[in-house]
Amino acid sequence: MKKYLALTIAGMTRTLQFRLGILVTVLGNLIYMTLVYYLWKAIYASSPSQIVNGMTFTDTIIYLVLATALFNFLDMYIVWELSRNIQSGAICLDLLKPVNYRVYMFFSFFGDNVMSFFLTFLPTFVVVYFVADGKIDLGLNLIMFAISVAFALLLNFSVEMLVATICLYTESTWGINIVKESIVLLFSGATIPLVFFPEGLRTVIGYLPFRCIYDTPLNILLEKPGYTLDSGIWSMIALQAVWCIILSLAGRAFWNFSVRRITVNGG
Amino acid sequence: MNKEIIKNKKRGLGFYFRIYCKIIAQDLKSKMSYRADFIISTFGMLLTNIVGFMSFYILFKNFPSINGWNYHEMLFLYGFSLIALTPLQCLFDNNWNLRMQVESGDFIKYCFRPINIFFYFISEVFDVKGLGQLVFGTGVLVYAWTCLGIPVNIRIIIQLILLLITASLFMIAIMNVAAATCFWIVRSGYVMIVMFRFKDYARYPVSIFDGIFKIIFTFVIPIAFIAYYPGIVILRPNEIPLLSKLSPLFGILFFWLSYRFWMLGAEKYDGTGS
Amino acid sequence: MNEEKAIIMKNIGKDFKVLNRHEGLKGSIKDLFSRDYNIVTAVNDISLEIPKGQIVGYLGPNGAGKSTTIKMMTGVLEPTRGEILVNGCVPYKNRAKNAENIGVVFGQRSQLWWSLPLIESFRLLKEIYLIEDDEYEEMISLYKSLVNLEPLLHKTVRQMSLGQRTLSDILAAFLHNPKVVFLDEPTIGLDVSMKAKIRDLIRELNKRKKTTVILTTHDMGDVDALCERIVIIDHGRMIYDNDIDHLKSYFGSYRTLKLRLPGDKWVEELIDESKTDAMSVISEYQKKSKILDIKLEEISTEEVIKKIYMGETVKNEKISGIDNSRDDKDLAI
Repeated sequence: MKKYLALTIAGMTRTLQFRLGILVTVLGNLIYMTLVYYLWKAIYASSPSQIVNGMTFTDTIIYLVLATALFNFLDMYIVWELSRNIQSGAICLDLLKPVNYRVYMFFSFFGDNVMSFFLTFLPTFVVVYFVADGKIDLGLNLIMFAISVAFALLLNFSVEMLVATICLYTESTWGINIVKESIVLLFSGATIPLVFFPEGLRTVIGYLPFRCIYDTPLNILLEKPGYTLDSGIWSMIALQAVWCIILSLAGRAFWNFSVRRITVNGG
Repeated sequence: MNKEIIKNKKRGLGFYFRIYCKIIAQDLKSKMSYRADFIISTFGMLLTNIVGFMSFYILFKNFPSINGWNYHEMLFLYGFSLIALTPLQCLFDNNWNLRMQVESGDFIKYCFRPINIFFYFISEVFDVKGLGQLVFGTGVLVYAWTCLGIPVNIRIIIQLILLLITASLFMIAIMNVAAATCFWIVRSGYVMIVMFRFKDYARYPVSIFDGIFKIIFTFVIPIAFIAYYPGIVILRPNEIPLLSKLSPLFGILFFWLSYRFWMLGAEKYDGTGS
Repeated sequence: MNEEKAIIMKNIGKDFKVLNRHEGLKGSIKDLFSRDYNIVTAVNDISLEIPKGQIVGYLGPNGAGKSTTIKMMTGVLEPTRGEILVNGCVPYKNRAKNAENIGVVFGQRSQLWWSLPLIESFRLLKEIYLIEDDEYEEMISLYKSLVNLEPLLHKTVRQMSLGQRTLSDILAAFLHNPKVVFLDEPTIGLDVSMKAKIRDLIRELNKRKKTTVILTTHDMGDVDALCERIVIIDHGRMIYDNDIDHLKSYFGSYRTLKLRLPGDKWVEELIDESKTDAMSVISEYQKKSKILDIKLEEISTEEVIKKIYMGETVKNEKISGIDNSRDDKDLAI
C-alpha cells in the first residue's frame, strides 16, 4: 500500500509544480460555469413553466455545474497517456515494474484526481452551495454522495482503461478518445440532465453503465426521487458497484489478453 | 550575397501557397496508407456530431425557444458554427500537438528553417476528418435554411461565404491563443480543452449574457462572433447590429493578434523543454 | 566583416532564470506562491573564431553549456552578453536568414517529415530552401556516390532504424549546401559500423563542399576521426581551444605504463610526465619485485577528456581558475 501512496503523492506534487497551469485551470472552469449559467438562465426564462421535467432552474444549474466539476475531477486522460507510452515504447519499462499495471496506472492518476478535487471540485461545490442558497442539504446525502463518487471514479477509470487498451491495436488515439468522450458525455448526463431525455432514450440509457458516473451521484446529492435513503438509494449504489465489478473484470481480461498478444507479436 | 537577397524576395505568398499544397498533397498520400486510423477518426467525428446534435435536439424538445429564437433559427446557427469550425479542424489541427512538442523540446526543429515558424508548424498536419463536420454542418444549415424559408440568391450566398470565413477567423484565433499559452505555462493543456468546449456555446444568441460577461464573450473570448453576429445578418436582415457589419474587420484583427501572440511565444522558445 | 570566418563569437554569455524548487509535497505547495528565482549562468565569456571549412569538435560534460552555445549560433537563443556573427549575420536578430545558410541535426530528434518517404522530404526541402534544379540533382548524385541511398529514398522516416534516420537527417542538413552545419551528437546510440559510415559521410561532405562543421559529441571516436580542432567547455567557460595532438601535451603529457610482474600479472600506472618520468616509476616497482615485461602506451583522447571533465588536470591556470563548486544541477540543457 505504501508504494501506491507514494505514487499518489508524486502525482499531487507534479500538479502543484505548475502553478500557472493551475491558475488557468481554475479560471477556465469559472468561465465555463458562467457560460452554462447564462445559457440555462435564458432557457428557463424563455420557458412557460418554472419546472421542467421536475427540474427547476436552480436544480439544473446545480446538476450541470457539479457535473462539469465532477467531469474535470474524474477525467484521467488515460487514453492519451497510454497511447503516448505505447508509441514511445515507455510502456515496456512500465510493464516490467513489479506492480499490477492497471493498479499502477490508477494510482499514478489518482494523485491528479485528488488535486483536482481540491482545486476544481471543492471550490465549485462551495460556490454552488451558497448560490443555491439552501437547495443542497448538508446531511447524510453528502456521505452517500461521497460513496457514490468513489464508485464513479472507479467506474470512470475502468471505462478509460478499457478504451485505452484499444490503443495497443491502433494508433488512432484521437478517434478512440473522441468516440469515448462523446458517448460518455451524452449518456452520463454531463451535458444535459438525463431527465430531459425522451422516454425511449432514457430506457436505453438505463441499461448502460455511463449514467452511474455522473447522473447517479448528482441525483443522490440533490435527493431526487428514487435516490434517497427512504427509497432506492441502495439499489442505485449497488448498481454502480455491479457495473464497477463488471467493467473492471472485463477491462482486466481485455488488457491481459491484449498485452499477451502484443508481446507475443513482438510489438 | 546578391543571390541570397533575391532568394528572400521569392518567399512571398505564392511561395508559401505552393509549399503548402505540396505538403498537404504528401500528407494526404501518407494518410491513405493508414486506413484504419482514417476510418476510426471519421467514425469518431461523425459520432461527436451526432451526439452534439442529439444534445441540441433534446434541449429543444424541452424548451421550444431561447430568448425569442426558435428551433429552426437556432438550428441555423448550429449548422453555421459547424461549417465555420471546419477550417480550424482541417488546417490548424497541429495546434493540439503544440504543447507536447514544446514540453518535450521537439519544437526546436521548427526554428531551424528559413520559413515562417507558424506556417511551418501548422502546415505539417492536414486533418481530413474535419471534412465530415463540413458535410454534417452543411446538411443542418440547408435544412434550417429551407424550413425558415430564407431566399436563395447570389448576393446572400456571397454574404454567407464571407460570414463563414469571418466566423472561422475568430474560431482559429481563439485556438491559436489557447495553444500558444503553452509557451509560457507548463501544463496548459486544459486551456485548449476548455476553449474548444466554449465553441459549443457559441451558437446561442449573445443576448443571453448581460453586463460584463457580454463584453467578455464579445471582445475577450469572442465566441459571440462565431455564430451569432455573423448569423444574424442572414436571419434578421432588418436589424443588423453594427458589430455584425464590423465582424470581418474584427476577424482579421483577432486572427492577426493571435498570430502575433503565437509567434511571440515561438520566438522566445529556447528549446529547453520542461 | 571577416569573410574568412564562418563563426565569430566575442565574450558570449547566457543567463537563465530558474525557479528555486523545494522538495516534497510541502515544498511544492510553498513553491506555488514563491518568487524565489536563481540566475544561472549557462555560458560565460566564450570567444571563438571558426574559419570556413573547419570541422570543430565542441566538447564538454553534460550540462556544460554546449547546447546553449549551439542554440545561440543557430539563432534560437539570444545571448545575454557579447557579440555573435554566423556567416556575417547576427543569428537571433535574423533567424530565418541565418537558417538559410546553416544546417542542423539535433541528436535523436528527426527534423524530417515523419510520415513522408525520404525523397519527398528532400523535394520539400528543395522548395523550402529554393534550391536550383541543377544544384539539387548534383547533390543527390553526390549522395548516391557516398552512401547507398536507393533503399532509403522510398522509406518513411517512421519506418527507418535509428542509424538510417540519423543518416537521412545529416543528408537533409547538407542538402541546401549550407555554409555551416551543426551536428549535435550525431552518432549517439549507433552501432560501430553505422558510426564509421556516418563519420565517413561527414568528412567527405566537409571536404567536397567546404562546409564548416560544428560537432558536439561524447564519443571520442568522432573526435579522433573528424575534428581538426577541439573546443572544450565546462561550467559554461571555455577551457581548451586547439587541436588533438596539442590536447595531450596541454593537459600534461600522460602515458600509460604497463608492467608485468611475477605471476603473470599486469599492473597499469598512469604517468604524468610533467611531474615524474616513467623510469622512476619503474625503479620504484623494481625495488619491490621483479619486472618481467614493460609496455609504454600513449594515452587515448578519451582518457584525456575524462581527466579534464573530472577536473583532475590542474596544470593550466585556465583550469584552476574555474570554480568547480558551483552548483548547476538545475540547468536543463
